[in-house]
Amino acid sequence: MNLYARRRLTSRIALGFSMAAAAFGLFWLVAILWTLFYNGLTALGADIFTLSTPPPGIAGGLLNAIYGSFIMTLLATLIGTPIGIMAGTYLAEYSRGNVLGQTIRFINDILLSAPSIIIGLFIYGVMVVPMGHFSAWAGAVALSVIVIPVVVRTTEDMLNLVPASLREAAAALGAPRWKVIVLIAYRAARSGMITGVLLAVARISGETAPLLFTSLSNQFWSTDMNAPMANLPVVIFRFALSPYQDWQDLAWAGALLITVTILIINITARMLAGLGSKGR
Amino acid sequence: MTDTALQAGSRASGGSQAKRQIVMDRAFQSATAFFAFLVLVILGGVFVSLVMGALPALSTFGFSFAYMQVWNPVTEKFGALAPIYGTVMTALIAMAVGIPISFGIAVFLTELAPPWLKGPVSTGIELLAGIPSIIYGIWGLFVFAPIFQQTLQPFLIDTVGQLPLIGHIFAGPPYGIGIFTAGLILGIMVLPFITAIMRDVFETVPPMVKESAYGLGATTWEVVWKVVLPYTRVGVIGGIMLGLGRALGETMAVTFVIGNAHRIGKTLMAPGTTISAAIANEFNEAVGELYISSLIALGLILFFITFAVLAIAKIMLMRMQKRAGG
Amino acid sequence: MQKNVRSYVTTGATAGALPGSAVQAGELTEKMSIRNVSFFYGQFEALKSISVPLYDRKVTAFIGPSGCGKSTLLRILNRIYDLYPKQRASGEVLLDGQNILEPGIDLNLLRAKVGMVFQKPTPFPLTIYDNIAFGIRLYERLPRDEMDGRVEQALRRAALWNEVKDKLNQSGLSLSGGQQQRLCIARAIAVNPSVLLMDEPASALDPISTSKIEELIDELKSEYCICIVTHNMQQAARASDFTAFMYMGELIEHGVTEDLFTTPKQKRTEEYITGRFG
Repeated sequence: MNLYARRRLTSRIALGFSMAAAAFGLFWLVAILWTLFYNGLTALGADIFTLSTPPPGIAGGLLNAIYGSFIMTLLATLIGTPIGIMAGTYLAEYSRGNVLGQTIRFINDILLSAPSIIIGLFIYGVMVVPMGHFSAWAGAVALSVIVIPVVVRTTEDMLNLVPASLREAAAALGAPRWKVIVLIAYRAARSGMITGVLLAVARISGETAPLLFTSLSNQFWSTDMNAPMANLPVVIFRFALSPYQDWQDLAWAGALLITVTILIINITARMLAGLGSKGR
Repeated sequence: MTDTALQAGSRASGGSQAKRQIVMDRAFQSATAFFAFLVLVILGGVFVSLVMGALPALSTFGFSFAYMQVWNPVTEKFGALAPIYGTVMTALIAMAVGIPISFGIAVFLTELAPPWLKGPVSTGIELLAGIPSIIYGIWGLFVFAPIFQQTLQPFLIDTVGQLPLIGHIFAGPPYGIGIFTAGLILGIMVLPFITAIMRDVFETVPPMVKESAYGLGATTWEVVWKVVLPYTRVGVIGGIMLGLGRALGETMAVTFVIGNAHRIGKTLMAPGTTISAAIANEFNEAVGELYISSLIALGLILFFITFAVLAIAKIMLMRMQKRAGG
Repeated sequence: MQKNVRSYVTTGATAGALPGSAVQAGELTEKMSIRNVSFFYGQFEALKSISVPLYDRKVTAFIGPSGCGKSTLLRILNRIYDLYPKQRASGEVLLDGQNILEPGIDLNLLRAKVGMVFQKPTPFPLTIYDNIAFGIRLYERLPRDEMDGRVEQALRRAALWNEVKDKLNQSGLSLSGGQQQRLCIARAIAVNPSVLLMDEPASALDPISTSKIEELIDELKSEYCICIVTHNMQQAARASDFTAFMYMGELIEHGVTEDLFTTPKQKRTEEYITGRFG
């Protein structure tokens, strides 16, 4: 075999591996989704949306957990989004290379990938311990701490994409800086910023670790923000590891619900980002 | 001088308006700076609250906390060695699986895939990143572990486990769950993160550089291995470190399949625990200040490890960005 | 308003010698006076002690090879350079007798008085209506019908009304390049500035759109002091009353357009307008 033939063979083998790797990656997506639907759909009935989590052996659903997840995700988004947008605005519009800006950008990127269980311990220390009990508020705040870095990052990136000429044009009309930012730059970056918020929502919808020691969970229907509140991830965690078949089934149903929700949010966000880049 | 129409706040009508705008401008800038500063406060708060929480354990055990293997709630003796070992080992296994596969996918996406296939494959891999870790956990426990226990695991034990030198770390009975299983699940979890960064940095290679290599008669593989990879090395390492940071701190995917045993097994097939799994499993049941404090001290150690890894990742990626920009 | 009514002869003293010409003495009002202005990007001196008058209700064109500093000069006149750190100007620029380079000047009020149109059209990602109303709303609070009137008036003056009157609620980005540029002109004049700066306003447009813009400039000069930067000498010759030739950050020659193009005083001006360099 001459040198050229050997080089070509090496290349073929390597590229074959590369294709196999892509197939391997997609295989897991399909495998996970398939088992989720297979196990989840059989457990998914009307009860899921009308009854609260039951004791073992009794018919029940996930209503209280769905409500808790929804309300805590909503609150976390409402708390985290404005903070993230403001901080991202500072980084993109005002920090221009100063040390504070660079430090914040660096720290924010670390928070972005920081283990979420540590966020849970943090909120446990600053909210649960002083208040003396677990609460839905603590859960929402813990999730908002995860929202913030995601929104900061996308806000900064999207504002940086707004052309300087647009800012100049607004300033040339006599618009003060804050109006240039709020009325023009935000407007131009809108679809990207919404995408960022959606991705943050998707991320926290499935977070379990930060809720374990903050909102905990609740066997019963509860809307009290100052009390422990049920939520899908923690219910899934507990029920899946329980020895009861009906609880395990509920866990699968919950897992399917969460995953489908997150995939829908993700796909929406992606389509929105696509639309935004086309419109620009 | 009466004609000072442009002096701030001098024109009767526009003046108060202008003054208000100056105040608004300052207020808005201060507000953004305040919330930006909050990001620093959060990180500082995480650090301080962990240190405060860990203080009882650290003052009781001192440095021995980090290298003691014993974990006994009854006698209140706690050491972090087993969880640290489990954390590091699972992350290393995840990297051993994740790096080559991610590299393969990134090469496929940037060099091989026809345009019509590029989008769907890219999206598929990114959706994999969207699946929450608890799903990996439940799936790993109920679907992957039983299949693994009956097929791949006995095969590995019978083949690799019989090899001299490295054999003993793959030996032992096939439990299905354990450090090796957790590492594999983690490897699949970090795939999309590493892939995304590798793909992005590969795309920063100027087409001219690649074309000139092709122009010399290089094969696709040679272009990737000898041109693209050296050109993007810093960014690739950054991406790997980012994936490592994720793997080290991941909780739910691991907790389901690690076996939760506070000991360092002789083989990778044995059950073990990681820092995050220990916290997730035991925190709510922990009684006594020292027990809780020891768990928080574990969290503090995890904080230091991931902070260091993520900081290195970030620095690497910043260097890559600087080069791509300049 | 105009307190600085001076005869052509007295302005001539500050602005350098002007040739006698078709422009009648005594009719000229110096709206802006640029006096010994230098400009720095960090350490680099981009403009070297420029002095030139800008007359009210006249079009002054700045020509010169790219990089000569003509756009930089324009960006001083509304202090838009202030958006960026490390850029500074020295000297004096008088607007109605007041030095706008002084500290303490309210830049937003200044920019409302000195409008600017950019090289590339810069419609905001808003509706056509809101693009115009944006600037008006900054300084005036008007009832809806009055605002409608102002928007219509601005669009009419920019010769755009007939093309967009049925789609005021569509995005400004949906217009063609030439329409977008006229939208930007309408936006600039909607706030009633007294000076209009145009930085190569037609360089990104096709010939038909360009001629529309030039017609527009000709109409608008009855109301504004217009200052236009262009690399197109024919455009300067067609559209302007006065022309200033700049080269390497210096003002080489300034005068009545006709004179400058027919009998340039400086050798370098002659070389440039005859196409021997640039």
